[in-house]
Amino acid sequence: MKSTPYNLIMSALYKGKKGDRPPVGNPTSIVCHGLMDACGISFPEAHLNSQAMADLALAGHEILGFDTVMPEYSVDQEAAALGCEVDWGDRNTMPDTKYFPHEDFSDVEVPEDFLERPSIRVVLDALSILRRHVGGQAAIIGKVMGPWTLSYHMAGTQNFLLQIGMEEKDNIRKMLRQLMPATIASARAQFQAGADIVILADHATGNLVGPYHYEEYLLPVHKELTAAIEGPLILHVCGNCTDRLEMFADAGFDGYHFEWQVDAKVAVEKVGHRLCLVGNVNNAEVLYQGTPEDVYKQARYAIDAGVDIIGPECAIPLSTPMENLKAIVSAVHEGY
Amino acid sequence: MSDTLQQIKDAVITRQRAEIEGLVTRAIEEGVEPKSIIDHGLISAMDVIGQQFSDSEIFVPEMLVSALTMKLGLDTVKPLLKSEENEPKGTIIVGTVKGDIHDIGKNIVKMMLEGAGFKVVDLGVDLTVEKLIEQIEAIGPDILGLSALLTTSMPEMKRTVQELREKGLRKKVKVMVGGAPVSNSFSEEIGADGYGADAAEAVVLARQLIGV
Repeated sequence: MKSTPYNLIMSALYKGKKGDRPPVGNPTSIVCHGLMDACGISFPEAHLNSQAMADLALAGHEILGFDTVMPEYSVDQEAAALGCEVDWGDRNTMPDTKYFPHEDFSDVEVPEDFLERPSIRVVLDALSILRRHVGGQAAIIGKVMGPWTLSYHMAGTQNFLLQIGMEEKDNIRKMLRQLMPATIASARAQFQAGADIVILADHATGNLVGPYHYEEYLLPVHKELTAAIEGPLILHVCGNCTDRLEMFADAGFDGYHFEWQVDAKVAVEKVGHRLCLVGNVNNAEVLYQGTPEDVYKQARYAIDAGVDIIGPECAIPLSTPMENLKAIVSAVHEGY
Repeated sequence: MSDTLQQIKDAVITRQRAEIEGLVTRAIEEGVEPKSIIDHGLISAMDVIGQQFSDSEIFVPEMLVSALTMKLGLDTVKPLLKSEENEPKGTIIVGTVKGDIHDIGKNIVKMMLEGAGFKVVDLGVDLTVEKLIEQIEAIGPDILGLSALLTTSMPEMKRTVQELREKGLRKKVKVMVGGAPVSNSFSEEIGADGYGADAAEAVVLARQLIGV
């Protein structure tokens, strides 16, 4: 196997042959001020314009040396298309949904022109641009939100969690079911537009909700999603999910993108034979506040533990220094 | 402990929202001191809840319902407190920093601080430094509690503390910080006065910071 960025990522995804070195990937945003300055594209333009979106994603490959390109930096694209008001932020702030249109758990309908709504279309177009530029060269990653995260956007996070606490089971199940078509449509369209892999982010976050919540409400939904979406899916769930790793594998995902709070060795031991593991350099203390040496050490720890694709644990703080991102790339270039 | 007091505690722990007001009213009729209902019924239940949360036996959905149950009980009993008992232990401003709209942790901390006898002014989410400074000058709180959930909004926390320093307000108010990505070392680095890992720790920290 040639050790090209694309080959390394795709082979690692299916736990195939190892190349000369581990691949380095970013399933979530690696945009920081340094990267914006280096390519002359800033937020919020990169959320709203497909060419800017694609160019900023390319900078992660061409300037930082990541093996993947991932053009979706917010978690709000589907929410906007489903009727949430989104504040697209500025150079210093990430976008956010402002109001929750279904706080009362009223019926949610995925609009017929969902894929043509501007916030979805822009991502599909950016993926196609990336396909034309680096198809077969770098692995192109798309990103969709799962029904759990979309429920936060529709009903409000606290409100949704409160309903779980009050065991309003019918409300919870209905909301999740109504949102599944949005996730499925978005993921399929991203593959058709040019994505090699799609990240499915669904924030049933460790420490926020329990493994028993995941098992009861979300595991059945995730099983249906992985069956309905044919292309390779990597799940992203934040927080310490050591207690539910096996369930993520049971759900049928091809990979799991995880945080530093899950020890890499434990993750490999528990599910390394069933899932491609992606991660898990710490954002808050290491990438943002630490030195390149700190980053290098964590990246090497993940490599030695057997993590398949090395990268940051989650979307990085915008003031993360570029040298720290480059330190992940340096660590993988030393080989296994 | 009276049976009713024990039932109040159990109702908060087991999230019996519909029962709590009736139980508190009954305890009052039985002559239990209002302060005792708060300390030995409602607050001691939240100590148990805090422990269950730390031990990962329960998670935020259950904690939210328990905290709401506690608040319903508090609202029933508070008007009956003697005026000197009702005197707040201190005033605390809480808010989630700019660029972050996550407020569940902050809301739980707020309810726990109120339960512990503090007056809490909640400035909400996505809080600009300008608004914060205006409110600190107007209210003159003892403590400012800042929350951030996203690693992407941590830099804003740092900027907020810097801004307080530049405006000459930093020495007038203690700053405590919390939220999933925040740590003791981050708190020290940005020059805050303390960090609480969860709502229970936030209450202990607030008491320490103003010596009550």
